[in-house]
Amino acid sequence: MKTEMNTTLIENAQIIDPSLNVNATQTVSIENGSLKFSESSKADNKIDGSGKILIPALIDLQAGIKNIQADSQAAKQAGIGYVCMTPNTSPVIDTPADVTLIEEKNNAVDGCKILPLGALTQGLKGEQLANMYSLQQAGCIALTNSKKPVKDLLVLRRLMEYAATHDILILINAQEETLAKGGLMHEGETATRLGLVGIPESAETIAVAQTLLLAEETNARLHFSQISCARSIDMIRKAKEKGLKISADVAIANLMFTDEHVTGYNSLFNLQPPLRSEKDRQALLAAVNNREIAICSNHMPSQAAAKTDTFAAAATGMNTLTSWFSLGLNLVDRGELTLENLVYASSTLPAEILRLPETSYQLKENTKPVMALIDLKGATQGLSSAITFNV
Amino acid sequence: MNDLISQLLSSPDASLPSPTEVASKVQLNSKGRLKHFLTTEGLSKELLTEILDTADSFISTQERSVKKVPLLRGQTVVNLFFENSTRTRSTFELAAKRLSADILNLDIARSATSKGETLMDTLWNLQAMYSDMFVIRHADSGAAHIIAEKITPNVAIINAGDGRHAHPTQAMLDMLTIRRHKGTIEGQTVAIVGDILHSRVARSQIHALNTLGAKEVRLIGPGTLVPKTMEALSATDEKKGAQVYYDMKEGLKDVDVIIMLRLQKERMSDALLPSESEYFKLYGLTKEKLAYAKADAIVMHPGPINRGVEIDSEVADGEQSVILNQVSYGIAVRMAVMSMAMSGQKEEQAEQESE
Repeated sequence: MKTEMNTTLIENAQIIDPSLNVNATQTVSIENGSLKFSESSKADNKIDGSGKILIPALIDLQAGIKNIQADSQAAKQAGIGYVCMTPNTSPVIDTPADVTLIEEKNNAVDGCKILPLGALTQGLKGEQLANMYSLQQAGCIALTNSKKPVKDLLVLRRLMEYAATHDILILINAQEETLAKGGLMHEGETATRLGLVGIPESAETIAVAQTLLLAEETNARLHFSQISCARSIDMIRKAKEKGLKISADVAIANLMFTDEHVTGYNSLFNLQPPLRSEKDRQALLAAVNNREIAICSNHMPSQAAAKTDTFAAAATGMNTLTSWFSLGLNLVDRGELTLENLVYASSTLPAEILRLPETSYQLKENTKPVMALIDLKGATQGLSSAITFNV
Repeated sequence: MNDLISQLLSSPDASLPSPTEVASKVQLNSKGRLKHFLTTEGLSKELLTEILDTADSFISTQERSVKKVPLLRGQTVVNLFFENSTRTRSTFELAAKRLSADILNLDIARSATSKGETLMDTLWNLQAMYSDMFVIRHADSGAAHIIAEKITPNVAIINAGDGRHAHPTQAMLDMLTIRRHKGTIEGQTVAIVGDILHSRVARSQIHALNTLGAKEVRLIGPGTLVPKTMEALSATDEKKGAQVYYDMKEGLKDVDVIIMLRLQKERMSDALLPSESEYFKLYGLTKEKLAYAKADAIVMHPGPINRGVEIDSEVADGEQSVILNQVSYGIAVRMAVMSMAMSGQKEEQAEQESE
């Protein structure tokens, strides 16, 4: 981590901090990382803030990271302060030593902060609990079995009880494997037309329903990663109303696209979770605009060659590590999200879900929050055009 | 930053092309001529009729003692079968030979890809051998589409069956069979019976029948094998593309054409059906059930048939059956699409070179 030992003057930037209900254009300066709502006389560099937003830095709740150093640097240049890294690496992140190693690699470069997500079960096998408390102590902000859901409900219930004991946040990818078996896309007219095996909505909703019932019994702190169905949102909303400690996010792709995009067999849209119907997409957008769910990249790195194959054989996932917020801005341009709600879902809510200290993400005077200045035009042209401070 | 993002950000409001537009764009050259033959979806009535007319003309050449025509002389056709098939492959081979092409048969299931070579590399290598046409059978839906669009667009691709998606030459030979026995496809009521869910043949037939003006397409089978979403296939604002029936008596009432589909043994182990015997009792075509249809209805089957599973021998060999005629028309239809796609492909390449 590096701190900029200088003073940057940003003239007329749009400052947005949903947690403080701030959305105003003004001139600020950042003196050795400390935010000042005034002009500094001795600025080392001056930035024209017009067309730029100054926001709490973006937080990605789940991304597959292949190269910690290169990826964290690229993410920082896109305005991302923190990236939660999935544990399905080789080796799996299931011991404190794995966490320390990631931290060391991360600290050696000027990149964003990588937050390793520890495995919930040893080797992600879904059988024996990982050393959950030790992983938490080593620095795992949350634990997840990633895209390999725990099949055995008794194991799931026990790991939730154990997590609740130590107030560990659990991330769940809700999918009932038996219903999703062989599936390549959302079940519906498009799947039928294309002759691709469908994944029914119930593959997700059944998993959400049973996980919520267990959450109620165990009082675990639970976050659903990448929900894709309208009905999942309804169930999560009702659970929250009952007072359960539940949160959720949606992958940016599910806000942008629907199953109809698979027409033409474009393997870019071979995604997990699958792209659902327009009705689902609208419900997910509404949930973001209601400030109920966060947005994550669901970045899954793959080579172009691995994508040039039949839809079934192509690598699953989309490269969205640095572009997810730009795609979100595209939704703002289309009038489907407001800019404030996008920032809330991409920065503020993830920070709250991860229980980061308020000083690290609230844009208050004389504090040193992790923040990003993002060039809106550059971002929507797909350029890395952000400066991230204090990370 | 990947291409998709820049693509999206440059035209955020671009509406999605319809499935029909997607399917026609990849198969046609700038003059609207066939350059690949991937699916019956999205092709015009005129074009499908042209395929049938061309096939008709080849049937007469097939009946001569010298069966060859020189349309593909000097061209190299590669039969690429990633999935086993005896009959389709041999009819394509015969069709290519009767068009005077050089033909190479590759059984990919047992060669390159088993050594870890990617699909893309296998095809690029074959293209480098100056191949003019690939006939492709693949277990994955959309394989032929991706190859034609992204991997080797300058080689004419003929889809010989991709997963559950399409088997357009089979569908066209079925259309030819109906036309030769019924005079026309317009106004006919056609029932397709059996495992529609897994059938690439049924999907291609539904598109072709609707485009060629069939009065009604009915799909008959149990709910596990006949998804309701099939009704949306080639549907228009006014009309569903097909009607689903679960009962043979209702579904076969007054139909002109019955197409039986093969039932694979795995359907029982996949818990889609209880047993062959229960299936035969409900949906097997017997003389009694055939009587629900019009008296002059014809019975078709893309083969290979399972006697006593989906069709009774008495019906399969009966006088309303045209199953063997279908096989003989197969060569003529394949000759037709191969010659048409080759000429459309060459036309496009000539155009690209002159630019």
